[in-house]
Amino acid sequence: MTNFTILDGSIVGLYLLATMAAGIMVHKYVSNVEHFLVAGREMDVYLGIASLAATEFGIVTCMYTAQNGFEKGFAGAIPGILTFLAMFLVGYTGFCIKPLRDSGVMTIPQLFEKQFGPRVRWAAGVVIVLGGLLNMGVFLRTGGEFLVNVSGLDPGNLEIMMTALLAGVALYTILGGMLSVLVTDFLQFIVMSVGLILITLLILDKVGWETLVSTVETHYGEGGFNPLKNSGMGWSYVIFNVFLNTATVLTWQTQIARVLAAKNSATGQKVYTRTSFFFVARFLIPGIWGIAALALLTPEQVGGNSLQAMPRMLAMVVPAGFMGLLVAAMLAADMSTDSSYMLTWGSVIYNDIMAPFRKTAWSEKKGLFWNRSIIAIIGVFLLFYGLWYKIEGDLWTYLGLTGTIYLSSMSILLIACCYWKRANSWGAFAAIIFGAVLPVGTLVLQKIGPYTEWFNVHDALCGAVTYIVVALAMIIGSLLKPRGGIA
Amino acid sequence: MTSLFDQIMNMLHNHWFWGVITLACLVWYSTITVYVAFKGAKDIKNMLKRLDDIHRQSQL
Repeated sequence: MTNFTILDGSIVGLYLLATMAAGIMVHKYVSNVEHFLVAGREMDVYLGIASLAATEFGIVTCMYTAQNGFEKGFAGAIPGILTFLAMFLVGYTGFCIKPLRDSGVMTIPQLFEKQFGPRVRWAAGVVIVLGGLLNMGVFLRTGGEFLVNVSGLDPGNLEIMMTALLAGVALYTILGGMLSVLVTDFLQFIVMSVGLILITLLILDKVGWETLVSTVETHYGEGGFNPLKNSGMGWSYVIFNVFLNTATVLTWQTQIARVLAAKNSATGQKVYTRTSFFFVARFLIPGIWGIAALALLTPEQVGGNSLQAMPRMLAMVVPAGFMGLLVAAMLAADMSTDSSYMLTWGSVIYNDIMAPFRKTAWSEKKGLFWNRSIIAIIGVFLLFYGLWYKIEGDLWTYLGLTGTIYLSSMSILLIACCYWKRANSWGAFAAIIFGAVLPVGTLVLQKIGPYTEWFNVHDALCGAVTYIVVALAMIIGSLLKPRGGIA
Repeated sequence: MTSLFDQIMNMLHNHWFWGVITLACLVWYSTITVYVAFKGAKDIKNMLKRLDDIHRQSQL
């Protein structure tokens, strides 16, 4: 049972119309590849804040952070606090992002070429795209399931809805690139934020803080408030998330794209420091929704699927009118994420993986054609991968592990590239290989072999170890290469 | 109004750490949304104007 009415449908329709129109209208300003990929580097602070926040909050984010709240209580919001600290410090000090932006590159692998050579640039591009697309592959299905649950649509229409949503997003992203992404992100940030704030106030009013706290106490005791006392978290979870979130802030393609699109490094740093606290809200607000689901739903209503608990709770408690705002907010969140992910991962395919094929400079027209084609191909991939991949374990850990495929090696490469002159191609290749093999191995061993249970329980430990091994690989590999060798 | 005040006091006393962070999130997020809505619109206007100028100059 849901409260989605014609009024709600009208709110959603109006929002979709306005976004599509804005996204398509700005495409006339795109005249070359730099405009398409980094908006001509004309992005200022407040547009950057809106864009970064909107991109980093999709339906999938809402789902896994609510799942964290449902399964871990308030302690599930710890990754948000760690991301806030990491982003604030990186923004304040300019650690890595200042030299990156000052170098004038369009992607991180392009910077790597300067110290590690073209082969490392190409390999880094492949790893970034592999990790990013695997990560993004679950977005559509998860988003579709949320929308079906809250709006009460027939689940049989999920695939059609996903396809229509993606086609709309792909249309304006293909036409306007980063310019369309920034402008639509701005609108989406406002709709999404109003929706998130109002629904949270509604939940706090209906459920009450005391009930939320007592629910967490009843189900998880002290572990629901303190991650170190939570049986499913502990030190390994916290350490993994320190590494993961710092690496994300430094190298996650959608975040770093805002630094690269900024007018200068000072603007990029301001975008980071001023957006950093949003990451606490990004985990805590849906986390509270997840705790409310724990308080209000019976185990039968949850049906053993903690991921769907939050949308089922929302379908019950959100009244007509608010429901339209909720769906519009979530569509806004999802569209901004999908568009930015398609564009920024596409930029690495064009700029770095296809670099060896551009030995002579391509015309701007040809460059734009290829960038647009790559986004369309990513869209098709997402449809197919998003339809058949079934996730095991919790969503946040899956995203963390698939992200670690590139986050571990790319963050170490970036730090070494910016601050360690002795770092070289041997160390870089060793880091890339270990950074890809260990998370992929963990994913495989979680599904097959005699130790599936151990690897499912200790996935955070495996993730944390990956970062340490990758750092060692960079150091040892670099030191082993004779000085004066060709990069 | 009393109910809202009670709710806030409850958040500050009952597991204050999470209560304070939740309140801070709601206050900060509400403020930044309004602020960014105005300033961001100005940023878009300026960005499109600069791009338009660049486009015109390149055509001269």
